[in-house]
Amino acid sequence: MAKALPLQGVRVANFGWVWAGPMTGQTLAFLGAEVYKVESRARIDINRILPPFAEGERDPDRSLQNHAGWAGNGSVTLNLKKPEARELARELVARCDVVVENFGPGAMAALDLGYEQLREVKPDVVMLSMPAAGLDGPLKDVRTYGMSLTSLTGLDSITGYRGGGPVPVENAFSDPLNGMMGAFAVLVALQYRKGSGKGQHIDFSQQEGVMQMVGPAFMDYVLNGRAAGTMGNAHPLGVGAPHGVFPCAGDDRWIAIAVMTDDEWKGLVEAMGGPDWASGYADVEWRLANIDALHERLAEWTAGFDDYELAKRLQANGVAATPVLNVADLLSDPHYKARGTFIEVTHPLGFKETIYGSYVKTSRTEVAVRPGPMIGQDNERVFKGLLGMEDERYRSLVKAEVIF
Amino acid sequence: VTEGALEGIRVIELGQAVSAPYCGKLFADYGADVIKVEPPEGDIARRWGPFPNDEPHPEKSGLYFYLNTNKRGVTLDIDTPNGRDALLGLVGKADVLIENERPSRMRELGLDYETFSKGNPGLVMVSITPFGQTGPYAGWNGYDLNAYHLSGCGHRYCGRPGEAPLEHGTFAADFYGATAAAAWGMAALFGREVAGGGQHLDVSTAEVIAAVFIGAQNIGGYAQDGVFERRTGIGMPLGAPATILPCKDGHVWMLALEPGQWNGLARVMGDPDWMQLEMFQDMFVRAQNSEAMYPLIEQWTAEHGKQEIMDRCQGEGCPVTAVYTVAEAAEHPHLKQRGYFVEVDHPELGRVRDLGPPFKLPQSPGGPARPAPSLGQHNDEVFG
Repeated sequence: MAKALPLQGVRVANFGWVWAGPMTGQTLAFLGAEVYKVESRARIDINRILPPFAEGERDPDRSLQNHAGWAGNGSVTLNLKKPEARELARELVARCDVVVENFGPGAMAALDLGYEQLREVKPDVVMLSMPAAGLDGPLKDVRTYGMSLTSLTGLDSITGYRGGGPVPVENAFSDPLNGMMGAFAVLVALQYRKGSGKGQHIDFSQQEGVMQMVGPAFMDYVLNGRAAGTMGNAHPLGVGAPHGVFPCAGDDRWIAIAVMTDDEWKGLVEAMGGPDWASGYADVEWRLANIDALHERLAEWTAGFDDYELAKRLQANGVAATPVLNVADLLSDPHYKARGTFIEVTHPLGFKETIYGSYVKTSRTEVAVRPGPMIGQDNERVFKGLLGMEDERYRSLVKAEVIF
Repeated sequence: VTEGALEGIRVIELGQAVSAPYCGKLFADYGADVIKVEPPEGDIARRWGPFPNDEPHPEKSGLYFYLNTNKRGVTLDIDTPNGRDALLGLVGKADVLIENERPSRMRELGLDYETFSKGNPGLVMVSITPFGQTGPYAGWNGYDLNAYHLSGCGHRYCGRPGEAPLEHGTFAADFYGATAAAAWGMAALFGREVAGGGQHLDVSTAEVIAAVFIGAQNIGGYAQDGVFERRTGIGMPLGAPATILPCKDGHVWMLALEPGQWNGLARVMGDPDWMQLEMFQDMFVRAQNSEAMYPLIEQWTAEHGKQEIMDRCQGEGCPVTAVYTVAEAAEHPHLKQRGYFVEVDHPELGRVRDLGPPFKLPQSPGGPARPAPSLGQHNDEVFG
C-alpha cells in the first residue's frame, strides 16, 4: 500500500479556525492534500488553548484535543493585521488550489482575502466559505457557538426525552459534520474545475448543512403539517418497537436495542426465555401502540445483565443490540482496537499521545496520520521553499512579527 | 437547471434506508447519474414513511422522497444469478458503487471489491455500515441507534445523569457516516489516476462519530490522565450561562460567556442588580453558582418569546438563539430568502417542498430537481 494518496498535488490554504474549518483541512490532508493552516501568535486560536494539555503543561502546542482535531493540517503563521502578512497570504494562495475559511461573511474581504481579491492572484481558485448561516440573508451575521447552531435547524427541538423539553447536546456536533461536508464540497468543485477550468466560491451555510439531518422530520411537516417533538431513543419515524436504551448492571451501563422485523422480535423473545407477557406483544402494531409498557418490561429484564455480555447474547439471536459505550470504553473496546480507530503517536516534542487515526478505511492507499501542527511548523518550508523568500527577508519578517 | 458539477459521473447505489441513500443523494444532487438498485419489494424507506395522512403507500414515503431525488431507479433480485449478473454489468460501467448491505450478505453473494472491479480498475466502492467490514462486530446486526450509542456520543454528550443516553431524534450516525463516505468517496474518485486506480472504502458509521466527534475532544485526555467525562444535561457545565432554557413560547439556547456577552444580556434584561453580584462575575464562577443563577434568568425568559429574546440579545452582541421547532425552521424567512427550500413535482405526492442541497456552487448549482424514482421506473431505460 505504498501508492500515492488520491489528493497528492492538491494544495490548500486553510484559514479555518476552531474546529469545522480545520476539520475540512484534516479530511483533505488525510487523503493526500498539502494543507497549511494560516494562523497567528497575535491571536492564538482558542482550539489550541483548550485543556487537557500534554503532561499538564499549558501551551498552545500541547493541547491534546487540538492534536486530534487538527491532525493532518500543517501550519504557517501570518499576522494578518499587517499589510505585508496579507500580501504573503495572497502569494501563498496564488500557489494553492483551494482556500478554506469559516469566519463570518465579509471577514476575509476585510483582510483583502475575499474571493474577488484572491481570484486576481489565482483565477481558478476554489474557495470554501462556511459561515454559520451562509454568505447572505437576514441571519447572515447571527452569532452562534458550534453547540448552539443546531437550534436554528429544528434539530435541538427533537432531541430530548419523549414529551419533555429539548436536552442540549453538550458539544459542537455541527463542527466535524460540516468539516467533512466542507471537504466534499471542495472536491465536487475541484472535479468541476477539472472539466471546465473554472474555480468558484462555495457558499456553505453551516445551518443548512446540519439541517440536512432534520430531513425526516421536515418531510412529516411538509406532508402532514406536523412538527415533531422530542423523540428520546425512538425510531425517528416511529416504525420499530422496542427501540431504545435500557439499563444494565453496573454504574451508568446501558444497552441499545432496536427491533425492526418480526424475526428480530422472535429472537429477542427467545433470548428472554419466552416470558408469558411477550406473547401479548407479537404484533408490531400492538408493540408500537404500547411501546412505553413494552420498554418497561424489557428494562426489568436487561437491568440484571452486563451490557457487553447481553449484547453478545442478543446478537447471537439476530437482535440488533450494542452496549452503550462511554469514553473509556472507546479505548478498550475490541472492535475499535481491531480497526485501529485510536492510535498512539509520538509528538515531535517527545511525548506520546493518543489521537484518532484514519476514520475511513482505504484499500489502496494508506493514510499516514500525524498529530495536529505546532504553530508555525511549516514557515520555512512555505516562505523560503514555496515562495522562494531569501533568508534575510524571512528573518526580518519574523523579527517584525509579520511571520508571527 | 444548470449543469451539475458531477455531470458525467456514473454511480450505482445498492442502498436502503438512510446511510447509503443519503450518500448517493449527495452525488445525485450535484449532477452525477445515480442509478439506485432496489430489491423487488423496494427500499425499506418506502415502508417507513412519513406518509400523507399516515396512509402507507410505497410511492408516498417522505423519507424515500427526501433521500432519493435526482436518481434513476431500477429493481433487481441480486439473490438470483440473473440479478447478480445484471448488477455486475451495471457496476462494470460505473465510476462509483455505494452500498450498505450487511458484509456477510455481500460475501455470501460473492460481491466483493475484487469481483466488482474486474475489468473496471478505476471503480471506487464505498461501503457504509454500522460497524464496518472488519473487526469483531462486523457480523453484528445493527441500525442507526446501535451505531450511534456504540460511538459514545450519547453517554458523553446527550442526556441527564442517571437517565438513558439519548440519540438526537434523527438518524445521526447514518448522516454522519454518509457525509464522511461522500467526502472520502469523492476524493478517491477525483484522484484515482494519481492513486493508480480505484479502491474500496470501508465506512463504519459508529467509528466515524467515535473518532471525529467523541474521540477528537476526549480520547487524548483519557489516555493520558485516565479520567473521563459524561453527560450532564447542561449545555456547558464548566461555563455559564450556556444551556437550553424554557421561555414564554418554547425554548432558547442561552449563551453569555465572555464579559461583553454577559453585559449585553444584562442590558437586554434591564440591568437587574443580581447580575452585578460577585458570584456572577465570570463564566466559571457563574457555572459554580449556576443553581442560583439559572432560575433568575428563567424568571425573565418565561416572560418573553424566543424570537424577541434572540433578536434583542443578538443586537447586544450576545449569541443567544431561538430553539426553532421543525415548523419554524421550515418556514424561516432567512432560509427562504437563501433559496434553501426547493419544490419538486412528484407523480403521487404532487408538488412537494424539499430541502435544497447542503452547499451552493454558483458555477454548477445542482440541487434536487427530479423526484425520487417510482419502484423500477427506469428498468426499461437502463436494461432496455
